[in-house]
Amino acid sequence: MIKNYIITALRNLYRNKIYSSINILGLSIGLACSMLIILYVKDELSFDRFHENVDRVYRIVSDEVDVEGNVTNKNSHTGALQGPLFAEHVPEIQTYVRIQSQHMDIRIDNEIKSEELFKVDKDFFKIFSFPMISGNPETCLTQPFSIVLSQDMAIKIFGTTDVLGRSVMLKDGQDFQPYQVTGVAKNTPINSTVRFNILIPQQLDESELSNRMNWFNFFQNTFVLLAKNADLTKVEEKMDAFYKSDSKEARDRMAKEYGMTEAMENYKLQQLTDIHLNTELPAQNGLTSASNPMYSYLLSGIALFILLIACINFINLTVARSVKRSREIGIRKVIGGERRQLIIQFLSESFVLCGFAFLLAILLLKLSLPVFNNLGNKALSFSYLLDLKLILGYLLLFVITGFLAGFYPAIVLSGYNPVETLYSRFNIGGKNYLQKSLVVFQFILASFMIMATLVIYSQFNLLTEMELGYNDQNLVEVSKYPFERSELETFTEQLKKDQSIIDISGKNGGSWFTAAKVNGETILQFSIETVDENFIPMMEIPVIQGRNFSRDFPSDSSNSVLVNETFAKEAGWKDPIGETVNFWYNDNEKYQVIGVVKDYHFQSLTNKIRPQLFTMNMRNEMGKVFIKINPEKTTNALEHIESTFKTLYPNDPYNYVFTEEQNLRSYEQESKWKQIMLFGALLTIFVSCIGLFGLTVLAAEKRTKEIGIRKVLGASVNTVVATLTKDFLKLVILALIVAIPITWLTAGKWLDNYPYRIEINWQLFVIAGILILLIAVTTISFQAVKAAVSNPVKSLRTE
Amino acid sequence: MIKIKDLEKYYRTEEVQTVALNKLSFEVKEGEFVAVMGPSGCGKSTLLNIIGLLDDPDGGSFEFNGIEVSGYKERQRANLRKHNIGFVFQSFNLIDELTVFENVELPLIYTGVKPAERKRRVEEVLEKMQIMHRRNHFPQQLSGGQQQRVAVARAVVNDPKLILADEPTGNLDSSNGNEVMQLLTELNEQGTTIVMVTHSEHDAKYSHRVIRMLDGHKVTESLLV
Repeated sequence: MIKNYIITALRNLYRNKIYSSINILGLSIGLACSMLIILYVKDELSFDRFHENVDRVYRIVSDEVDVEGNVTNKNSHTGALQGPLFAEHVPEIQTYVRIQSQHMDIRIDNEIKSEELFKVDKDFFKIFSFPMISGNPETCLTQPFSIVLSQDMAIKIFGTTDVLGRSVMLKDGQDFQPYQVTGVAKNTPINSTVRFNILIPQQLDESELSNRMNWFNFFQNTFVLLAKNADLTKVEEKMDAFYKSDSKEARDRMAKEYGMTEAMENYKLQQLTDIHLNTELPAQNGLTSASNPMYSYLLSGIALFILLIACINFINLTVARSVKRSREIGIRKVIGGERRQLIIQFLSESFVLCGFAFLLAILLLKLSLPVFNNLGNKALSFSYLLDLKLILGYLLLFVITGFLAGFYPAIVLSGYNPVETLYSRFNIGGKNYLQKSLVVFQFILASFMIMATLVIYSQFNLLTEMELGYNDQNLVEVSKYPFERSELETFTEQLKKDQSIIDISGKNGGSWFTAAKVNGETILQFSIETVDENFIPMMEIPVIQGRNFSRDFPSDSSNSVLVNETFAKEAGWKDPIGETVNFWYNDNEKYQVIGVVKDYHFQSLTNKIRPQLFTMNMRNEMGKVFIKINPEKTTNALEHIESTFKTLYPNDPYNYVFTEEQNLRSYEQESKWKQIMLFGALLTIFVSCIGLFGLTVLAAEKRTKEIGIRKVLGASVNTVVATLTKDFLKLVILALIVAIPITWLTAGKWLDNYPYRIEINWQLFVIAGILILLIAVTTISFQAVKAAVSNPVKSLRTE
Repeated sequence: MIKIKDLEKYYRTEEVQTVALNKLSFEVKEGEFVAVMGPSGCGKSTLLNIIGLLDDPDGGSFEFNGIEVSGYKERQRANLRKHNIGFVFQSFNLIDELTVFENVELPLIYTGVKPAERKRRVEEVLEKMQIMHRRNHFPQQLSGGQQQRVAVARAVVNDPKLILADEPTGNLDSSNGNEVMQLLTELNEQGTTIVMVTHSEHDAKYSHRVIRMLDGHKVTESLLV
């Protein structure tokens, strides 16, 4: 019997090519998206699970709490003490590994490169199961000046992985030191939070350990291995109790010397597998691939939307086509087919169709993987699919889709009365509310996606095109740490010899934040920038009160500062010039405000402008130069900068970046969202429209006679097109009306995450509305015009 | 075989109620060939549908083989129908997506006959209807006469006791029509009871008895043999 069903199904598909293509194409897009998402989610959940002891590996984290016990901050960092001390005093902690990420210069064939490496404790390979190609995992990190390389790094340095015992030159302080290769590890898997290329041992420094003030230094990740069956809560309690008693003296000192009474840590353990998707305690400070479960939800949502729309197409088209098939149903019933058998028949048809869609989806999946990898920051490969659980997941998806699409039509179609269908008394369900509701639902989803995409695009444009308050064009940044002031002077002198260089200014490397007292006792936190007198004018940052640093005032380089407007505002200064900023923890070092600069966006626009202070303090180190170049001589300038740098500092790695590009890079996340939403919106509207197209085809067929009569009675082509278009257009407009408030609320909520955001205005909805209506009208009228221009005599005769 | 008493059937729309069968009574004996005649709208097809267990009467009684079936549920009716009744329609009602062989095979599939047995029986009946050479063709590839022969083959493949024919020659030219009537006569001679609705006096002559209807009533009944 199934054979008969399948034969009928196949022949039906073949005969109704438009209908079959719409359904197969729509479902395959929906299925391909869902399969991609299953793959994505599986990958997201697979992070770090490959370690043998994964259930027992935890990261030490802490909650910062105020005096009332409220959590003020979550801290995923630790310092030198937490690992060794907790391991010593909490019996359930078997061992620990501290991972300190840092960049060090490495010499490869006379080239100096800055490479990221991890300084780790000796039990690194005991906690993490990274397979080694050579070397002993237990001893490779026990000796100072030993080094473990990844496969790729070994090849990069030596051209081979057979390098045990060979030396790597690493810059330690001012000089290069030989490090002996004690191990080569396989490249870390891509779904690992801990990914390394170079490991060197981190030594236990007794003086560092005995200084309990180090409880308050947080700069690295510390992992511990718990004993089997250890009770997590008890371990955390023991850690906490130990910390509170051990750090008491240090905390008292902090309170006394620095006035820091409020900060207190509650130590906790975070499971290794929890890190990847945790946004509060993320993978950072050397740990990579921090993700946001939001992506999984968003992508799943889009995939589900598309699949749902495709299923709705199937339901709508099948039910709409049922007038044509009703005779067959009648015949089958007359010659003995029971309702149950007909339900099975229609379900098998749905499954046959889904089967084709499924095959096409696999092809689409293969084709779209590279694009998806790019969007999702993944390296998923097609071979990933050959996983039993995943295959079962896909089969389940196939079965669910088959049922979702086929069940309702099967119930409706099998319920037809054979007498009515055979004697052409059959007329499908009057007002057809279900079909209409489903079309409205589809277009709500599609409209939402289009509007949301427009919102994201506008916000992205705002972020990337908003005036920053300084000129980031034609600015090249070159870093060197430290950049001594004398070096800076020579570098500037040499650079200026070429006309392609317009101006140069030095600044500290990285971003620094600190606190100081203003108006006596008020502690203000701010960003501190160590610059030279050239910085503010070169960046074109307006000084709105007072003056810029100047060489004419020798005291500028020792006790003068400039602040930004926000600083002055938060300090509550009406006339900031002459006010004092007191760095009380540096022996009450005091600085005088000599000028106020206009606020500018020194961080990305995803952050609100914070208080900012500029100093020329000679004790602070410089780490970066900004070079303003002539845009017409860019190549020349870049060559000149590189050759000058390499000649002057042969032992330092050379890297440059354009400030403007760097700024744009800080919106990568937004850029990704933008692309995801665009793809989602395009697919959603496409699948909705092919469904709408199918319905118009069927509606036009169903109304052939009506159209014929109207034309005989004198209706013009336009009137007929309007008649056919009107009904569907009403549904699309209704969908738009529903989608607008939904988008307005959701997008508003999303935009609230941004301190600088667009206001959602009515124009956006008008543009989206016109766009959606245009797409819908084009889709519908294509068929409506075809029906309207047909010969009425012919249509009446066939009827 | 068929005993109908005071059978009533109404069609209702929102505003109008039309009487299709009005207290109709008659009997058909096993092995009989009965023709039902009357103008369009007199209730012939409605009668045929009720006898064929496709439709419910609104009143009266209907006994099939001595069993009252007017209150049967859909499933019971389908069961009784597939084992006992074959249908032949004016418009042939073949399934376009199935070949000649598959169309004829369908009733056997629904009654759960095994594949080998199905093949034997379908081939046998196709031979008998002289349509075997067209077994792999689709309905649209056949002439009207051939299509109706396939429809007859499908109606008899399950060896039904009763064949209900609704204007079986209505869409055929006279020579094809005669052929179909000849087929029905042969089936009747082999013992199958036939009830045929027709407009054609010529076709009615093939039957044993003619029942004439008007406005849902039986008006005359004449024995031809």
